This record gives sequence, structure tokens and C-alpha cells, in this order.
Amino acid sequence: MIKSKILEELIDRWLTKVGTLVAIFITFRGHNAPGGGFAGGLILGAVFVLQYLAGQQPTIRRKPILNPERLLGFGLLLALVTTAAPLFVGGAPLESYIWSITLPQIGKVKIVSSTFFDFGVFFVVVAVVLLVLTFLGTRGGAISHEPTDGVG
Amino acid sequence: MVFFAAVVAHFAVAVLALIGLRRRPVIAACAGLVVLAGTALVVATQAIGATSAPRKTIEWLPLLGFNFTFQVDGFAVVMALLVSLLGFGVLAFSIAYFEHDATFTRFVGLFMAFAGSMTGLVLAEDLFTMFIFWELTSVWSFLLIGLHDKSEVARRSAVRALLTTGAGGLCMLVGIGLLQNQFDTTSFAQLRDLAPTGTMASVAASLLLLGAFTKSAQFPFHFWLPGAMAAPTPVSAYLHSATMVKAGIVLLARTAPIFGDTGVWRWWVVLAGVITMLIGGWRALRETDAKLVLAHSTVSQLGLLTVLFGIGSPYATYAGVAHLVAHAIFKAGLFLGVGVIDHELGTRDVSKIGAARRAVPVSVVAIGACLLSMAGIIPLFGFATKEKALVALLDAEFGLVGSIALWGIVAGSVLSVAYSVRLLHALVRTPNDSASHDQHHAHHEASVLMRSTLAAPVVVAAVVSLGFGFAASTVGSWLVSPSSALDVKAVSKLALWPGINDALLISFVVIAIGAVIGWKAPLESKLAQQPRGERVFDVVYDSTIAGAKRITAVIQPGSLPIYVGITLLLVSIAPISAAFVDGFGSLSGLTSGTALEASVSIIAIVMAIGVAVLQSRFTGAMFLGGVGYAIAALFALRGAPDLAVTQLLVETLTIVVFLLALRAMTRITTRPVSRFPQITRMFIAATVGIAIPLLALAARDARTAPSASQDYFARSVDEAGGRNVVNVILVDFRGFDTMGEIVVLAIAALGVANLVRAAEQHRRAAISVKEVAGS
Amino acid sequence: MSIWAFALIAVLFAVGSYLLMERSLTRVALGVGVIGNGVNVLIIASGSDAGEAPIIGREGVLADPLPQALVLTAIVIGFALLTFLMTLAWRNWTITGNDEVEDDVEDRMITRRAEQTEKLGDVPHPEDVQT
Repeated sequence: MIKSKILEELIDRWLTKVGTLVAIFITFRGHNAPGGGFAGGLILGAVFVLQYLAGQQPTIRRKPILNPERLLGFGLLLALVTTAAPLFVGGAPLESYIWSITLPQIGKVKIVSSTFFDFGVFFVVVAVVLLVLTFLGTRGGAISHEPTDGVG
Repeated sequence: MVFFAAVVAHFAVAVLALIGLRRRPVIAACAGLVVLAGTALVVATQAIGATSAPRKTIEWLPLLGFNFTFQVDGFAVVMALLVSLLGFGVLAFSIAYFEHDATFTRFVGLFMAFAGSMTGLVLAEDLFTMFIFWELTSVWSFLLIGLHDKSEVARRSAVRALLTTGAGGLCMLVGIGLLQNQFDTTSFAQLRDLAPTGTMASVAASLLLLGAFTKSAQFPFHFWLPGAMAAPTPVSAYLHSATMVKAGIVLLARTAPIFGDTGVWRWWVVLAGVITMLIGGWRALRETDAKLVLAHSTVSQLGLLTVLFGIGSPYATYAGVAHLVAHAIFKAGLFLGVGVIDHELGTRDVSKIGAARRAVPVSVVAIGACLLSMAGIIPLFGFATKEKALVALLDAEFGLVGSIALWGIVAGSVLSVAYSVRLLHALVRTPNDSASHDQHHAHHEASVLMRSTLAAPVVVAAVVSLGFGFAASTVGSWLVSPSSALDVKAVSKLALWPGINDALLISFVVIAIGAVIGWKAPLESKLAQQPRGERVFDVVYDSTIAGAKRITAVIQPGSLPIYVGITLLLVSIAPISAAFVDGFGSLSGLTSGTALEASVSIIAIVMAIGVAVLQSRFTGAMFLGGVGYAIAALFALRGAPDLAVTQLLVETLTIVVFLLALRAMTRITTRPVSRFPQITRMFIAATVGIAIPLLALAARDARTAPSASQDYFARSVDEAGGRNVVNVILVDFRGFDTMGEIVVLAIAALGVANLVRAAEQHRRAAISVKEVAGS
Repeated sequence: MSIWAFALIAVLFAVGSYLLMERSLTRVALGVGVIGNGVNVLIIASGSDAGEAPIIGREGVLADPLPQALVLTAIVIGFALLTFLMTLAWRNWTITGNDEVEDDVEDRMITRRAEQTEKLGDVPHPEDVQT
């Protein structure tokens, strides 16, 4: 594990924040340029990996994420709801709806309903990385580093 | 349609017997009797009032031309009547026969299912419908032969019968498919109007013949029928003499007008029939088990029917229908009669059944009458029909094949007289040891009701044989409608006394010679050998099973690497052989590629070889990552930035995962496998490495339609509001796939979590065991 | 398809299948990884010609997006599969002290039974012996 105060600080202050922003940005712009939920999720996952390698718990805004399984379920549910939602307004499953709204300062923004689906994918990918880090990483490591004499 | 309802009613009773009335089989049997009698009544009234043949089509797969079509013409009526009336008699007989037998429930269910299938078969108007019921009868027959499933002999015979008739059925299905493909119909009437000719028609006809021959036990498939006698007597009487084995004859009768003049059809049918007739007759003369005598005589009589329908002249068709009816009646009577004797004496040995004269005199007289009908002795019905057969063949003008048929039938008739007389001789002779009979009889006190129930169907069969004989001309007029349904010209009549003619003179000579042979034929002769056909079948069957076991032993030695190796080798066979067939011309289409692409590819190749060569786990993981990064670069070069980004991130995470897992593995290098030689593995790897790129090349060249993506390009902005088509495909056009994919991701991640939890539990348990041991 | 893509697919599949035929689960996982890369390259190379990124509005000939979408999901699924496999190998190690796949005992028994049958004839089923 990396044991450097400066590095820890660096990761904590900058990388996590910038990384999270980049991940969300990549996911958003995926509809029109390279990127998307898979890439965005993997970027945020990479941020957590760096945190883990620095000996920290995966955190967002200084709050550790304790239950990645819940995040996994949330991502799946989000994708599923987006899939099924058009059924309730008389459309076909996964049919896209496009809204144009004007935001102050930014101007006209087009929002497509399938972006929510992409965020479902995003959360699932993030949760998968987190699960691997918590289980194979932290809890598995605890087993691996025990003395193995006489067992197994 | 009422006929269809009748068929369904059979199955309903079958279900009732097998599920609802398991403990009261007699009630189920009575319900079955009602259904059978009702069917007979419906069919009979139909036959009397009919001016045209009613038809009914139930659509199943109209697009493929597969429908259930039933037509109740004269021939169907007479066959359906035989099926339900004989079924009635045999089922009534079985109530007494199966007294105190636990298998009766199953018997009733299977019996009714069989009767329903058989009724469907004879009412079928097209080959496809017929095939469905045909296969059903094969299955029921298999289950009924193996009714006593604890007996090795019964099981083996059942398997033999099923595999033989099943193989024939499959040939028939192919034939039906060819006809459907070529002529767009499988209906008998439409095929007859089309009068198919040509190679395809001959092939289809031959395949249908294979089906008919296996079902009706014609040479060289005659062996399974005697083996089927392992079944209880009612099964043998009904399925293997009177009804199911007639299915092949029905098929012949229905297809003779279609294929009679196609290629060598007639030659093949007549030769098979004559050979079968002679083999069956000869073996019937030598068997010592009365039931087997009857089995072989059935084979022989089926040969006679095959010849008659194979000749296919109007007279022969008429004679065939008449003899089919006569045979069904006397053979059912004979089988049930032997069943009575067996039930009474506990033996069917022809040297001992003479004792039955005292035990069941009425049945013995009835059996005698049926035997005389089988021998073709005046005034029984068998005489009239066999005379008609001889007249028909004397009359027919088919050159050499006609003469073969005629003299074959003459020789066959000598044999059939001989085996009938031999059985008669066995019945009238006083057996050597009558003691065994008394002993057996002492503890076998069946009630009077039961014994008369047993005897009644036999007596009825005898009376009908005799009555039909005396009323030959009337019965003959009834048979005009059935035979003219097959062939409009097949209008003739039967007579008790046809007057002196060539046929009658031949008959006298036949009866005289046959009677002498039969009376002199030894009753004790032992057949040490299993019949040859059966032996051939067993050798083929056993060596197939042994071969399968040997192959299993070689390809499934329990080692996972070897399984994987075999699978990989088989996977690569198809592309490589395809490349050898098509040539390697597609290789010339390979382009040289850019320098950048070349360098990135070479890096990936070197890294990949490194993964294989280096034994250290850690280095292997690093090199795998290297391969991934190189490929990410390749994706970027090919215009796939999405892939490049994803691949880059995934490879990084993969390395991390490897590192996390490898922390525990204290031995750095892996041991090479021992049981699977290195050189073999390299060979298989090389084969796969050659096969798969060839496949990729072929797949690329095989494209005929434009890519589906053109549509996606057109719709992407308007419908999905996105310009990155890859992403739009993922989240919109093919969103369902992505949905499934993230579910897979979730499951894999939960799997990882639970594997770790399981390891924790295991560790805790191990520690607590150690603590207990330590304290 | 360029000669380089062809050669790359060949090597990746050969190496991957060579590793799949090993006993060590770690090596098998490496094999799955290599072969997975091979499949991805195969789909891209045989499914479309090289071109610009398939983003509407770009100049030039655009590459076919459909194979790319297929491969994108395949990459991520491949990661999940590898992770699972490595966890399996890891768990095997923590419990048994190695990561090797054992022989299937049941399959060996079938082989032995077949050999026996050939020597001694068909062994009757226990149910038949009772009756």
C-alpha cells in the first residue's frame, strides 16, 4: 500500500473530485461523442481503485461507501425503470423521449430519456468495481494475510 | 366431427386409467369397452348410410402444409371396425386374463391409448397425419411389450421392436418430407392424381416402403415380431397380429395406387413379401412354443398381404382387403385361445397343449375352427379369401413378378396349411405327461364367470370365421366399398363354393401336401439357435453400446484440460474442412495494412506469446494487460474510440483484480500439467489458431446484405436524439441487450462477493476447529 | 482485413486455447483473457472496415457501429468473467493451498465401469437383482 501523506492528500483533494466530475461528464456526453455509461463507470471505478491502493476506503465527498450491493441494485432498478417507463405512457419499451429545456447561463440543453438508462449502466459498473474492491480486496486480503499454517 | 371425438375419447380413457382410476382398473376397462363399442357403432352407422366419404381437416402448421386430415372412406371404415371390435374383444378377455395382476392398470391405459392411435392411423387421409399416429403406435407397442418391466427378455424385445419400427418410421418421415417438398402435398388422393414419377418419387416411395416393412415385420425386418411375444397375450393378440402390424399393410394399400408403377416398387414389395412368407412359414413349422408358432405364422400371413397389395391389380386389392379381415379375425381368436390354454395349463409347449382338450374343451374347438380358417379349409372364411387371392394372381398379368408372386403364395400356402395342421395335431394328440396339468390346475381355480369371459372372445372369433365363411357372398359384397376406396376398379365378390377352376385345383393340392407335412412335422423339435435376424440386431446394438462406452472412456477421462482440448479440436474442424473444400482463395484478399497497425499488432503478438511462455503468474497478468493496451491502440486506429477508452480502463482494472487475487498465491509460478502432453496441447492450439482466422475471413466474405447499421445511422438523431451511434445502439436500439448485460455484470459481482464470504466462513470454521483441538 | 489483424487473431486464439488446456486456474483465467481479446479483434476486423468513429457529423467514411457496440459490451462482460474466475482461483487457494482443477472422480468411475462391462458382460441393475 502507498504510504505517503502527500499522495494521500493529492488523491483526496484532487483526484477524487476531478475524477468524479470527469466520469459524470463522460457519461453525459456519451450520447453525442465517445463515452457513455460503461466508460464513465469505469473511470469512477478507477478513481476508487486509486483510493484503495492509497490505503483508503472508497469515498465520495468524505463519506465512505459501505454498501456497494445497494448501489448495484439501484443501478439495475434505474435501467429497468427507464426500460419500462414508456409502457406507462403508451410507448414501446426503451422508446426514447427527447426534451429540450433552456437553462440560465448555459442555454438550450437537450435531454434524452435514454440518458437515465446510461446512468443505470454507470451505477452498475461502479458498483461492480466497488464490490470487487471491498470483497476481493479488503475482506479477501484479510484472509490472504493470515498465517496459513495448519489450515487448508 | 364425431370420428375425431371418438379418437379423443380413447385417449381420455387412457388418461383416466393411468391417473384417475389407478386402483380400479376394471372400471377403467369398462369405460374403455364402452368407448370401443361406441366407436364401432359410430363407424358402422356411418358405413351403412354413407354416400360420400366425410372429411375433416384440423390445421396445425398450415404454412408448412402439415395438418391433421381424416377421411372416412370404405377402407377406413373396415379398418376402424376391426380396430374397435377386436379391441373390444381383447379388452374384455384381458379383464379375466389380468385378474390378480398389478400391471392391469398400466395395461388398460396403454391399451386405450394404442386403440385411439390406431383408429387415428386408419382414418388418416394424408401421410403426415398417418405418420404421427404411426409413431404413437410404436411407442405404445414398446411400452406394452415391456409391460413386465422387471423381465430382461421383455425389455430387450421392447427395445428391439422400438428401434426397428422407430428407424423405419424415421425413414418414412424423410420420404414424407421429400414428397411434401416436391409435390406440395402428402394427401393420398392428391398424390394419386399427381401420379408422381422421377427419381425423387422413387426415393420417397422406397423410404415409405422401409417404414411399412419395419412396421409389418417384412424381410429383412421380420425378426422383431416374434420377440414382441414377450408381451402378455392380449397385447400380442391385438397389437402384434390383428392391428398394429397391419399399419404397414395399410400404408402399402394406400400407396400402391400412387407408386405401383414407379421404378422397382412392385418388384421390391413382391419379393420382400414372398421371402417373408416363406421364412415365417418355415419357422412356424419348427417352433415349439404355440405362441411363437402363431407369431411366425403372422409374419408369414403379413407377407401374403404384402404380396397382394404389392401386385395391386383390382382383384388382388380386393383379395387383400378380404384376407386382411379374415386374418385379423382368426389370428386374434388363435392368440386369445393360446392365452386361455396358457392361463389354464401354465404351458404353451406344443407337445403338452393336448391336455387342454379336457380342461377347456370349448375353447379348443374354437381354436380348431380358427386354425382351419388359417389353413384355408372350406367352409371357413379363410378358404374364401385365399381362393380369391389365388384367382387374383392367376388372373393378373405382370409377367415374371406375377409368376413369382403366384408360386410364392402357393408355396406359402403349403406352409400355412402345414403349420396350422401341426397345431391341430398338437391339440388332438394326448400329451405324454398329463400329470403336470392336474397339478397346475389344482391351485388355479378361476371362477366360472372369469373362465367364460376368457373363452368368449375365442368362441366369437371362431363363430365369425365360420359364419363369414357360409355367408361369403354377403360379406364379399360388404367388402366392395372398402376395396373400391383404394382402387375404383377393385369390385369383385367372394363365394363359399366358387365352382371347379384352376385355383380350386391348386388349393386341393396345396391342402393335401400341407396336411401331410404338418401332420408329420415333429412337435418336440428344438430350435437351439436364436433367429438370425435377432442375432444380427443384437450384435449391431451391443457393439453400438460398447463402442459408445469405449469412446466415452477415451474422450471423458475425467481431466478438464483434456475435455477442453477435445472441444477446441472439434470446434476447429468445421472451419478448416470448409477452407479445404472452398480453397484458400480468400487469403489473397488480405491487405498489408498501415505501418502503425503493423507495429501495434506485433507488440500484441509478442505480449501474447509471453503470456503463454512465462510460467510466473504475476508476469503473465502483466503481459495480458500489455496485450489489452495494444489492442486498445488498435481499436483507436480503426475508428473505435469508445472501444479504445473502455478497453484501456478495463485492462487497468483487470491487472488490479489479478494483483488482488494473486496476493494469496504464495507459489509464484504454476506447474505444467502432467497428464496432457505438451506437444498435443501445442498442436491443438495451433489448429485453433489456424481455424478461427479462416472463419473470420469467411464470415467477412459471406456478407450479402448491407449492414443493419445503415438504418441506425438514419434513425439515430431523430428517434434517439444522439449522434454517437455506438452509444445509441447500446442504450436505445439494442437496449434490451444492454439490460441483460448489466444483469450479467451484477451476477458476476455478487458471485465474487459470495465466494469471498464462503472463504471467510471456511476460514472461521477451520480456526474454531483448531482452537477446540488446541484447548 | 489486413494481414496483421489475421495474424493477431491467429496468435491470440492459439495462445488462449493453449492456456485453456492447463490445470492451474490462474493460467486458465489468463487464457480466457487472451481469447476474449481475440474474439473482440475478430468481430471488429471481420465485421467492418476501418474508418472514422461512427459519430454523425464527422467527415469521411464512418466505421460500422454495430460490431463496436457488440464488442463494447463484450469487453465489460469479459472483465466481469475474469474477475469471477480469479476469485474462484483465489478461493481455491485459500481453501486447498493451490489453484489447480482436480480430475472429475465421477467421470473416472464411468470409464472404469465401461471397462468392467467389457470384461465381465453387462452388469445388471440393482433393481433387477432383487426380483
